[in-house]
Amino acid sequence: MRRRDVLRGVAAATAVFPAPAVRSAYAQTAKPLVIGGSVPLTGAAAETGLNVNNGYITAASYLNDVLGGVEIAGEKYRIELKLFDDASDPARATTLIQRQLDDGTNFFLGSFGSNIVLPTAAITERAKKPMVQTGGGADAIFTRGFKYVFGMFPRATRQFAPAAALFKSLKPAPQTYSVIYTNDAFSKTAGEGVRLACDAAGLKRIETYELPAKVTDVSSVLASVRSKTPDILVCVMHDQDSLLIARQMVATNTNVKLLFQGLGPQLASFREALGKYSEGLCCSTYWDEAVPYKDKFFGDAKKFAQYYRTKFTRPIAYHVAGAAACIETYVMAMQAAKSIKPEAVRDALAKADFETMYARIKFTPDGDGDALLLGGMIGQVQKGKLETIFPGEARTAEPVYPTPTWDKKA
Amino acid sequence: MSLVVQTLADGLVLGGIYALAAVGFSLIFGVLHVINLSHGILVLIGAYLALVTSQALGVDPLLTIPAVMAVLFGAGYAYQRLLIQRAVDRSPLGSMLLTFGVALMLQNIMIWVFSPDMKSITPSYAFASFSVAGITFDAVRVSALAASLVLLLCLALLLKFSPLGRVIRATAQQTLAAQLCGVNVKHVYALTFAVSAAFAGAAGIVIGVILPFSPADEALWTMNAFVVVVLGGVGSPAGALLGGLLLGIVNTLTAQYVGPSFPNVTMFLLLVLLLLVRPNGLLGNAFSASR
Repeated sequence: MRRRDVLRGVAAATAVFPAPAVRSAYAQTAKPLVIGGSVPLTGAAAETGLNVNNGYITAASYLNDVLGGVEIAGEKYRIELKLFDDASDPARATTLIQRQLDDGTNFFLGSFGSNIVLPTAAITERAKKPMVQTGGGADAIFTRGFKYVFGMFPRATRQFAPAAALFKSLKPAPQTYSVIYTNDAFSKTAGEGVRLACDAAGLKRIETYELPAKVTDVSSVLASVRSKTPDILVCVMHDQDSLLIARQMVATNTNVKLLFQGLGPQLASFREALGKYSEGLCCSTYWDEAVPYKDKFFGDAKKFAQYYRTKFTRPIAYHVAGAAACIETYVMAMQAAKSIKPEAVRDALAKADFETMYARIKFTPDGDGDALLLGGMIGQVQKGKLETIFPGEARTAEPVYPTPTWDKKA
Repeated sequence: MSLVVQTLADGLVLGGIYALAAVGFSLIFGVLHVINLSHGILVLIGAYLALVTSQALGVDPLLTIPAVMAVLFGAGYAYQRLLIQRAVDRSPLGSMLLTFGVALMLQNIMIWVFSPDMKSITPSYAFASFSVAGITFDAVRVSALAASLVLLLCLALLLKFSPLGRVIRATAQQTLAAQLCGVNVKHVYALTFAVSAAFAGAAGIVIGVILPFSPADEALWTMNAFVVVVLGGVGSPAGALLGGLLLGIVNTLTAQYVGPSFPNVTMFLLLVLLLLVRPNGLLGNAFSASR
């Protein structure tokens, strides 16, 4: 079934949809509204790239096929996505974006991965064309004075504030932490964010470990963690590296009171690979089907998830919802601006305060997501399920702290 | 003191796995003079085949080694005879470009078939560990190391004592003389490639047991194999073992005493130094004696 998902995603992403037969029906009533971009459907970032791609397709398909298009300034439009596979390669992505700009595309969606979003955003910025994205959180995207780039997350150094607030509220209060991150654009700035947030929360930092971008062994790092054991170990890196660390921690019986892994435990495949050892692991999560927001188009998050499942069998993830919200945000900004001129839409995006099934969308003056409204929730694996333990208003379970040692989970 | 020993032990375990992952690359380079840039993808095919087979049959992934090796032996033979040999016949660089292209295509096919999601093979002992004299060993890595050493020994014995090994060595050392003695050189090249592909597949199983993997990882294993071969020398399991162990120990010692972000720096520094000082690797070219 997954193979079918990938094929469907690739076909849909590289084609201009809706299909020709349907398009002829639309053509009589709706004008095309082209939104371009690239997504990593192959290469290192493909796993999450596919989620982002599926989110874009879900929203565009719903707006076109179910709602019959969107109305902007009295005109009916259908969304035409022109998304291409950038193969997780920044050089290829920039070429694709430049080509679309040359072809006259005015609006862009982001790829996945700060290393791709940053150079592509620089190109769209120069051309004064808006980009709304859910795949790049590195600070560099939002600190260069770009005016046309908007992100669905707070910048990386601000993303850890909710987790630090959770740590502060735990009983007995944790005193120390160590942080591990990999040497890539996102993880490095996220690691800096962990340090800033945890230091501000009064936790004492024991050690900071920087790993290469691709990790094959962490035994020496874990030996150091065993000799200088913190209360909380925070790992900010991609899910594959998170899994390697968790597996080696179990195998070498390296215990901490709480293991926080930025990316990983959100995924069912990750929890499955670790089995009962995934109990108690914490992670950031930005969306859940149970979030209470109302949505102008889908109704709410549950209805969005239902529609997604009619199109894809791939499990839903927060990047899917974030990507769909990018398109919704574009449409609502165009409706607010009563225009599809890039400058007018950019100004409307800067003033955005829209409720969607993903979150309430509001950007900072630098273009990243508002830290409170678009900041993360904290999840913890409890009885094999990811429960929300922070913030209090979204809580589905009480936090477990300290978590049992690995041998007690066996 | 115990930290030094622990670090060395971790390095040896990691190095044994690097060695197995590189031995096929080394053999192809030594005998066919082909830089096989699709080596990493053969490693990953082994990992995916083991995942599918062990899940379908409910057996330990290491028990799938013979079956996976057999499949890759056949595929490797056909790949060499039908594609690589034709490229070699036309231009010396053609084979490198061809293997690069094949790696890209196979990577995308794997994404279609298995999705780009990370996978992991989790045997029953995946999380077990044991201690000897205060040194903690990760059971799954030790079993992977044991499997690597056994396979490397088997390959060394095959090359040294079997009729196939003798023919491979003869062809690598004096291709024309072997041809004059009636050896079908193209067949031997294909057999060598088949053996190498089989060992790449076996390495994939061992790697899949200890590390999560996805189709995007193929370049990593081609690059590691390249470094191991430059360090240890071309064409022999002993060279691959020496290069692999050296790489593993350098990795863990650097991570422990210089910083976890520096293993790649020292790895490539060592590579450059060795290329300057001893370009044929520490053990030299195993087949160069009578060239």
